[in-house]
Amino acid sequence: MAPSQKSTKSSQPAGTDIRSFFGGSSQKQMPTPKTTQSSAAIGSNSKSAIEISDDEDMPPPAKQITQPYPTPKPSVDDASTKSMPAKRKSASSALNLKPMDVDSDDEPVVAKKRKKPTALLSSEDDDEEDSPPKKKPAAGSSKPKAKPRLSKSKDDDDAFSVSDEEEDEKPPPPKKSGRKSTTSKPLFLSSDDEDEEEEDEPQKKRASASGSKSKPRLSKSKKDDDFIVSDDDEDEKPAPKKAAPKAGPSKSANKGAGAATSNGKGKEKAKEEPAKPKFNYAAVAKARAAGPVAPGSKEVPNGEENCLAGLSFVFTGELSSFSRDEALDIAKRFGGRVVGSPSSKTDYVVLGDNAGPSKLAAIKKHGLKTLNEDQFLNLIATRKGSGKLDEKTRKKMEKDREAIETAAKDMEKREKQAAKEQGTSKTVDASSQLWTTRYAPQNAKEICGNKGQVEKLQLWLHDWSNSLKSGFKKPGKNGMNIFRAVLITGPPGIGKTTSAHLVAKAEGFTPIELNASDARSKKLVENGMNVNNTSLDGYIAGTRKSNDDVMITDRTVLIMDEVDGMSAGDRGGVGALNAMIKKSKVPIICIANDRGAQKLKPLIANTFSLPYSRPTTNMIRSRLMTIAFKEKMQIPGNVLDQLIQGSQSDIRQVLNMMSTWRLSSNTMNFDEGKALAKMNEKYTIMNPFEITQKMLGPYMFSSTSRETLGDKMEYYFQDHSFMPLFIQENYLKTEPAALRSYDGPPRQVKYLELMDKAASSISDGDLVDALIHGPEQHWSLMPLHAVCSTVRPASFLYGQGAHYGGSNAVSFPQWLGQNSKQTKLSRQLTDVQIRMRLKVSGDKHEIRQAYIPALFPHIVKPLMDVGASAVEEVIEKMDEYYLSKEDWDTIVELGVDDKKDDQILKKISAATKTNLTKKYNASEHPIPFHKATDLGKIPKKLPGGPAPDIEDAFEMDEPVDDVSEDEKASKDADDISKDKLIKAPKKKAAPKKDAKVKEKKEVKAKEKKAKK
Amino acid sequence: MSLWVDKFRPRALDDLHYHHNLSARLKSLAASGDFPHMLFYGPSGAGKKTRITCTLKQLFGPGVEKLKIDQRVFLSPSKRKIEVNIVQSNFHLEITPSEAGNYDRVVIQELLKEIAQTQQVDLNAKQRFKVVIINEADSLSRDAQAALRRTMEKYMSNMRIILCANSTSRLIAPIKSRCLLMRVPAPSDEEMQTVLTHVARRAYFDLPPEAAQEIIKDANGNLRKAILVLEALKMQSPDLTGPLTIAKPDWETYCQKVATLIVTEQTPARVMEIRTKFYELLSHCIPPTVILKTVAEAVVSQVDETLKADVMHWAAFYEVRMRIGSKKIYHLEAWVVKVMSLYKQSFYSLDMSDF
Repeated sequence: MAPSQKSTKSSQPAGTDIRSFFGGSSQKQMPTPKTTQSSAAIGSNSKSAIEISDDEDMPPPAKQITQPYPTPKPSVDDASTKSMPAKRKSASSALNLKPMDVDSDDEPVVAKKRKKPTALLSSEDDDEEDSPPKKKPAAGSSKPKAKPRLSKSKDDDDAFSVSDEEEDEKPPPPKKSGRKSTTSKPLFLSSDDEDEEEEDEPQKKRASASGSKSKPRLSKSKKDDDFIVSDDDEDEKPAPKKAAPKAGPSKSANKGAGAATSNGKGKEKAKEEPAKPKFNYAAVAKARAAGPVAPGSKEVPNGEENCLAGLSFVFTGELSSFSRDEALDIAKRFGGRVVGSPSSKTDYVVLGDNAGPSKLAAIKKHGLKTLNEDQFLNLIATRKGSGKLDEKTRKKMEKDREAIETAAKDMEKREKQAAKEQGTSKTVDASSQLWTTRYAPQNAKEICGNKGQVEKLQLWLHDWSNSLKSGFKKPGKNGMNIFRAVLITGPPGIGKTTSAHLVAKAEGFTPIELNASDARSKKLVENGMNVNNTSLDGYIAGTRKSNDDVMITDRTVLIMDEVDGMSAGDRGGVGALNAMIKKSKVPIICIANDRGAQKLKPLIANTFSLPYSRPTTNMIRSRLMTIAFKEKMQIPGNVLDQLIQGSQSDIRQVLNMMSTWRLSSNTMNFDEGKALAKMNEKYTIMNPFEITQKMLGPYMFSSTSRETLGDKMEYYFQDHSFMPLFIQENYLKTEPAALRSYDGPPRQVKYLELMDKAASSISDGDLVDALIHGPEQHWSLMPLHAVCSTVRPASFLYGQGAHYGGSNAVSFPQWLGQNSKQTKLSRQLTDVQIRMRLKVSGDKHEIRQAYIPALFPHIVKPLMDVGASAVEEVIEKMDEYYLSKEDWDTIVELGVDDKKDDQILKKISAATKTNLTKKYNASEHPIPFHKATDLGKIPKKLPGGPAPDIEDAFEMDEPVDDVSEDEKASKDADDISKDKLIKAPKKKAAPKKDAKVKEKKEVKAKEKKAKK
Repeated sequence: MSLWVDKFRPRALDDLHYHHNLSARLKSLAASGDFPHMLFYGPSGAGKKTRITCTLKQLFGPGVEKLKIDQRVFLSPSKRKIEVNIVQSNFHLEITPSEAGNYDRVVIQELLKEIAQTQQVDLNAKQRFKVVIINEADSLSRDAQAALRRTMEKYMSNMRIILCANSTSRLIAPIKSRCLLMRVPAPSDEEMQTVLTHVARRAYFDLPPEAAQEIIKDANGNLRKAILVLEALKMQSPDLTGPLTIAKPDWETYCQKVATLIVTEQTPARVMEIRTKFYELLSHCIPPTVILKTVAEAVVSQVDETLKADVMHWAAFYEVRMRIGSKKIYHLEAWVVKVMSLYKQSFYSLDMSDF
């Protein structure tokens, strides 16, 4: 045991560190346990978990922490004393209600964490002294009250008040502890003694400590006992699982004991109490929750199979030891149904921390039963599959089974018949077929889901000949009959193609399918299908055969499958198809995945849209059960559900998975199913909005989250260029979860502190980004960038936010827009600067910062104040600085604050503006230079590489004629260099003109200057 | 009818009003025939460009004042077109490579080589070399600066380079060592006063000394700003007496507003509000360092004594990051949040041990 424990120890601390780094904001600051506790719940959890484990053997990690019990003494007395502190701690933890938070040593601290940092006492001290513990538990109790769960305990003044509910769960932990303790440590010897008494103890305690409260406890305790018994019967495995969930309750029991001791009533009792084992459970739970434990190992009592059958659950808030997904899994595993939001039909609501207010309201409204985590687990452990409900469900199940059997028989019959018919000639052995073909629906009724759509389709085909006769004028019942084609859209594997074929068959049409494996270019579509009987080919040849050996009759339906797959090779295909649809005399069914695709735009107007949705699990399950039955596979319903959900209702995929599985095994249990579904998971790329929501949402960094740092970074890599921008844009919009325990001014300070950390991390990220995208391109720094720019900021400020699930969704980063605006304005400013350059020495920043404000009263203000009559004056001033009308616009646009362009432009009347434009265009203006682009004569080919020597350049020109002319031109022009650049033979005419024009202009400008 | 700054700009070294020994040195350099590469540096509005132009005139005669502007197109290695404006006379040429952004190296390489390989054709020219003025030299990328090194030595016979920068700190040492460094400090108050009086005389009015003092105080050593303000004031109140209110430029008042926002409330919502304002300033071409400096100064004037040092410390801290990094807004925002956090903490007088 010892070595294992040690190893676990070492691993855990590391885990906590990392977690605190990314998840727990404040933990780092203080080296002492107190501080950590005060800082973040997460950090505390991890710690507590460790400590708890120490007490018990089963959780090896626990040992490390055991500082409080560094010397496990065999003597009963020692044990008792030790147990006492443990109890106290446990009690305090119980008060907190969250098993995870409670540490044997740190518990009091934990309590403090949430509410007051000052109260914290070191756990070790507690162990030694009896009196201090009392205080601690009390403090803990007071704190827990704040939380909703604790509310029950509130009423009680003492630590004893620990909620009765929790007690129920106590018993199981003691048992476990007993077993384990015997094996492991001397400390536990004492615990062993206790173990025997354990069952009695809880009751006694309750009775003694809290008489008034005792009743409910007793009842509960009984339950617990039964429960425990069952546990004992079970293998060891289940016990540990239980321990985790039950830790909370055990603590509460301990608490009570501890409190009693503190009161002075029963130290003995306290000693006797199984507090330590209970602690162990709690610790285990915490450890599991905190550390990265294998997902299968943590859970759950071994309840009876389907013990939750017929019950519907709603989960809300954060459970302390399970992540949401895991909790859902547990419920499903035992046959429960999980619903998204509570309604009157909901049986239980499993409440975690920080439940959504709307759900709480719904619970109140419907008076629903609520469970906390431990109660939920308890329910699983205790509930038998034989209740009233169970009878009902059993009947139902039997019915289902019968239905399945009959269906399977039908299937078999059909298969046999088919085999007979095909007989000896072309036997396709059913067993050699893929399951997807073998068990394909044989008629329209067998199609899972989308019944309405299939019916519509059938009706449309049914009415086809009539609508053709009427010229597609009568809309018919569904308004479909004015269309010559329908467009079926929907995700893969839900029976789109199958239903098209089946319906066609049912209505007596011959389906002709063209899919992506056929070339469907415009030409082929037009010529290939002679759909309009325009060609006499058929008559002459005797048979009406098209190029593709396709018989087109009036009872043909053309199925264009995978229309959105018409790609580059099928140029014009969609257009041609659309044209064909417009004149077609045969019904056309187009099938695609994504209705919104740009490619399908032309089809939308001419086809009736028939969107298929994913069938729900229920719809598919029975059919899959039938198939499984026929294949003699034993797959329970909830496992099938898992597969179906994992494949997002893709029936084809589930069938493929099953047929593969069948090769190796006939049965599949829940975990196998889960693993299989996971293995076949479709890799979905989330868009940045979703990722941002997830990153900043309340679950990603919560203590129960199972995502590793790598997982979190993976989100960054889904879109590494956008994620940092999105995080930066949205990181301030959350209601940080790390602030839950703060209030008032400390909260504000803490909030700003978190923001500061996040912002400086983003700033770090930008520096890393500069290295990545800088001249040296350190792409290997991308993981660091992921952490700095995305993961770390989110780890500080994650939480419920205005954006989270609300209407005020994640917003698109402004940076992109602002940056391009900046680039644009900066370019315009450069233009202004270069025009003013003949008069002004400053660079463009000087222009912006000094000249534009100085010019404003000269060239803009008069227009605002005086109006049209000032136009002359303004134009004169603009000419002074070679400013054009566009530059005037730029100058106005560059204003901020009260000189913001829209405000300024509002103050200038429209008449004045037009006047300015007109007058400016009518008059002549000095032009400092011409932009090459203005003349539209930029040579297309620019010489790359180093500038050639002039001699080289002429050499290059020699093969071309007109060299002399070129030379002349270059002599004429002031700008030799330019002409040289433009020497590409084709452009000769252009540069010459260019040069001349420019020269003229320049001369003009110079003249003007000279005049002045 | 130009603005006074431009209208009354001194054209010859003899006309300059201050830094007389600098003028004298430039004059003798121009006369010596052994004219070195030069690096003019100093704060904006101190007269760097004016001195460069004067020196050129001293070198080549009035011909340098005949400017023309030309636009050249270069191709980046990735075949992107880069447009660069070139201001030139027959004797010199002036470029601003920072217009080309990251591709300034291409501009330097191609343009300079081309000029360097061409000899002065004008036989009447006083000097055999051409002068290339490189503006905003402190925003040259490292690559571009490296490209300059060899060119400066190799083509000394045909070309002289005059770099113009605000500070030498961003220039690599090899460049500095190849240049004669000319520091043009901001004029003192007295010097500014003489200039302002001179301008007033040229514009035919009398400038009351109080008004001049007021303007000088506002200009903070930037003579260009001082003269622009003088003209604006003259437009407002022609006699320049009585209490003068010097209108701050739009961006400056906007920065003040941001500072007030920071001090009055410290919430995430406020940070978002400030972010929008920063975006607006940035997109309207106010350099981020200027924003940070202006806002920080305004914040310092409004906060408690104990905080001032911290505010400035962090402003400096994030300014450096801003220069290194690429997305300025991140650092501006980080600074704002830091200041808010500090402010809040001092407000509740909590310990700041971990800051």
